[in-house]
Amino acid sequence: MEMKKIQYIYTILFGVAVVLFFGLAYPHHLHYQEQFQLFLFDSNYVWDVVKQPGGIADLLGRFCTQFFLFAWVGAFIIALLLSAIQLLTARLVNGGWFFVLSFVPSFLLWFFLLDENALLGGVWAVLLTLLAVWLFVKLPKGWLSYSVMVVVIPILYWMVGPAWTGTHYHRYPTVVPTLLYAAWLLALVLPLLANVFKKWNSAHQPSAIICHLATIVVLVVMGTLIWKNSNFKAEKVMQYDFMACHQQWNRIIETINTEKPNNQIGVTVQNLALAMHGQLTAQLFEYHQNGIHGLLPDVQTDATTPLPTAEAFYQLGMVSVAQRTVFEAQEAIMDFQKSGRCYKRLAQTNLILGSYEVARKYLMALQKTLFYRDWANETLPLLGDEEAIAKHPEYGRLRRSAYKNNFFFSDHVTPEMLEDLYFSYTDNYLALEYLKAYCMLTGDRDRYNNLLRRTSVKQ
Amino acid sequence: MKQILSLYILLLLVCGCTTETVSDAKQEKALPRIYPDYLGVTIPVNVAPLNFNMADEQASLIDAVITDSHGNSLHSQGEESVDFDIDDWHALLGQNKGDSLSVTVSAKYEDGWHTYQPFSIYVSPDSIDYGLCYRLIAPGYEVWSKMGIYERDLSSFEERALIENTQFEGCVNCHSFNRGNPADMSLHIRGPHGATLLRHGDSPLTAYNTKTDQTLGFCVYPYWHPSGRYIAYSTNATSQLFHSAHQNRIEVFDTASDLQVYDVEKNELLLTPLLKQDSLYETYPVFSADGRSLYFCAARALPEGNHQLDSIRYNLCRIDFDPATGTFGNQIETIIDAVAQQKSVSFPRPSYDGRYLCYTLSDYGQFSIWHHEADLYLLDLSTGESRVMTGANSEDTESFHNWSTNSRWLVVSSRRDDGLFTRPYFCHVDAKGVVSKAFMLPQRNPRRFYRERFLSFNVPDFIIAPTRFDGHKASRLINDDYRKNFDLHN
Repeated sequence: MEMKKIQYIYTILFGVAVVLFFGLAYPHHLHYQEQFQLFLFDSNYVWDVVKQPGGIADLLGRFCTQFFLFAWVGAFIIALLLSAIQLLTARLVNGGWFFVLSFVPSFLLWFFLLDENALLGGVWAVLLTLLAVWLFVKLPKGWLSYSVMVVVIPILYWMVGPAWTGTHYHRYPTVVPTLLYAAWLLALVLPLLANVFKKWNSAHQPSAIICHLATIVVLVVMGTLIWKNSNFKAEKVMQYDFMACHQQWNRIIETINTEKPNNQIGVTVQNLALAMHGQLTAQLFEYHQNGIHGLLPDVQTDATTPLPTAEAFYQLGMVSVAQRTVFEAQEAIMDFQKSGRCYKRLAQTNLILGSYEVARKYLMALQKTLFYRDWANETLPLLGDEEAIAKHPEYGRLRRSAYKNNFFFSDHVTPEMLEDLYFSYTDNYLALEYLKAYCMLTGDRDRYNNLLRRTSVKQ
Repeated sequence: MKQILSLYILLLLVCGCTTETVSDAKQEKALPRIYPDYLGVTIPVNVAPLNFNMADEQASLIDAVITDSHGNSLHSQGEESVDFDIDDWHALLGQNKGDSLSVTVSAKYEDGWHTYQPFSIYVSPDSIDYGLCYRLIAPGYEVWSKMGIYERDLSSFEERALIENTQFEGCVNCHSFNRGNPADMSLHIRGPHGATLLRHGDSPLTAYNTKTDQTLGFCVYPYWHPSGRYIAYSTNATSQLFHSAHQNRIEVFDTASDLQVYDVEKNELLLTPLLKQDSLYETYPVFSADGRSLYFCAARALPEGNHQLDSIRYNLCRIDFDPATGTFGNQIETIIDAVAQQKSVSFPRPSYDGRYLCYTLSDYGQFSIWHHEADLYLLDLSTGESRVMTGANSEDTESFHNWSTNSRWLVVSSRRDDGLFTRPYFCHVDAKGVVSKAFMLPQRNPRRFYRERFLSFNVPDFIIAPTRFDGHKASRLINDDYRKNFDLHN
């Protein structure tokens, strides 16, 4: 087979590996990415992004990230981008020994994307830069190419931003995305080196077998490095968060029975799923527990850990607490983006609490998204329709479960709060489960016995 | 080919500029329902166009014709909102100072055009200041996302950031000017780079550490003395608790608070035992128009271990202040005994002409921003009588407010729009204290603007000119470790 075709096969193999990795081994990293942004099909939103240096790369990255809601689609998009970068690099280095190295920038970007806070805009920035270089190379040398360069450089600056400072490549503004810069630099340096060693490269073309071996070595070594440096622990935590977000209670039970979680988010989600199945108190000590912090942990001021706890608050009927927790989590997103998941929950909590105009505001924003639009359209007619809300299986139940007595509370959930919640609506079996579990975890026999007495009287 | 192309472009331009004639309109007996509600409002002669939308969102076209008594008219038509030409608008207002304009609104629905009864807008000859300065921040609890201080030209729609927290790690709050003059400015930065930025007259912007070993903590709510020499500050130990089942979500309260005055020229804090009593929570200090009184809110402190937040109520109090010597009087006078009415005063703001003092009255506490029942009241300083400012108030929260430098306009923070996001409204207060109906800060397309902005307008204050605040220089100061310390007066 012709060498060029074989090279394409390597590219396809590389792409397939990327798809399989993100689709099978890393899907919840993609879900995690998606939940910390809100791509709006709105001119003001687009303008706010593109007016910054690097805005085009950022916008393209955000656009692609919205598809990460479906992990396989996200994996496919990443594979396309990384493969495109490899192909362009290969074109620019013009084969030979340098073909083998053309995979390295894409591998570095894959490495970069192992970090859940690495943003796809960075990958787009590399791709756009390579496209510009390729365009420049393709142009006939002379005044035309130099004129194009003069025009393209400022446009490129606007599209991909200043390479070394302050652009939106990582969710944490203070983090220097070294791997991204290394990939970027290498993608540009390799063609230069290929040009410098052009004669030598032509004279010392590797044999086909050497070329295959070298390519396979690079793919295996880099692939092993990727695998070794993947954070599968974080992936597991993200899986629990994802399952809680999508209320996959059965799947959570199946997962915890395969491998008992021993991290805070996993335990919180495990206990919520058990409680949703009415099995929390019965099976409490069959699983790892983290004291009362595994039930309703104190809310931290970050964007990630509060969300599963907020799900528990929400399901319990502590709707205003859930609302505050979600609001604060969204505010804590480090790059100041908004979140589709949070907007949806804020719309729901405001709807349940009767703040219809605030709910409408969130819903109308979600109408400008690709994947939350249908849900927003279905939910909007509920606003102000008390009868429909009362009949709604989720919102009606949560309204009935809500606190009836007003009292002040702080960040810390107390057993008194759970008692008040349960005794103001004794159909709220979830509150009872949590209250009993609270007593069991703290060893508060008096409260537990008192609770049993009171519940038997009620019955 | 060229000719066809030119014709096509011309056609596009013509189509883009044409307006549909309001024909066969059904004459409605009702007034139009528009957003924002500008019906019967009084506006300053130099305000930006009052563009509006139909409230119901069903209309495919909205048409408005403004006419005056001299035969002039101004027309606008749009799909979402009317958008008056800004120069024509200002010209029309200029010709009608002290007179009323009549606005006829038509809207096109599926069944055709409907024309509503005209409503009037009164153009006050009292102008409003150049602009408004405010903080934009999500109405949250403890964590903040992107936020900053912004200025808005009130005669146009132009908004500019003074400083945003993208430039440093932390948050920015409590901007304050001396009677709208941005040459005298105080601004707090919170977070790891905490500081108070001060500039006075021609002196350069300086970052201060306002915490001393004899005060509760960092200086908080600022208010400039009319001379520009002093700034009154509170120091507050603030906490928050949450409601389980109440229309108000959150209660922000002080567990201790004191007052002090900072002498800008001597770099000294002036203290008095009367304003740092353990048994009292003192907050929101403001100087009177003549600078010889310091008004503030004061509540009896809760005994230790008592968490009955709904029993904390603040009165409006006053103490003498001698600007020549920087000394305080020796007694505190209660100006409004809100406790006797089972109410609580917050945000006192004297008009700069010395006639009135506007304050917020809520059921309890001092952070009335989160109190849906909070309303504005006007105290006549010559008679001592207070009355509710009906024109400025709504069913929802009215809280922070400030006077224009001519003391004829009040900017009011209100949550009437949706119950959560604070918007600025303006009302006119005439020489007799008659308060006009409040109108919302104009925007080019108000519904789109306010719907898409998920931020509250916080601490709105008038400015008489652009602040000329160098945000980059300020961020350099903030990110630098150097802080000049506030000294204590011995």
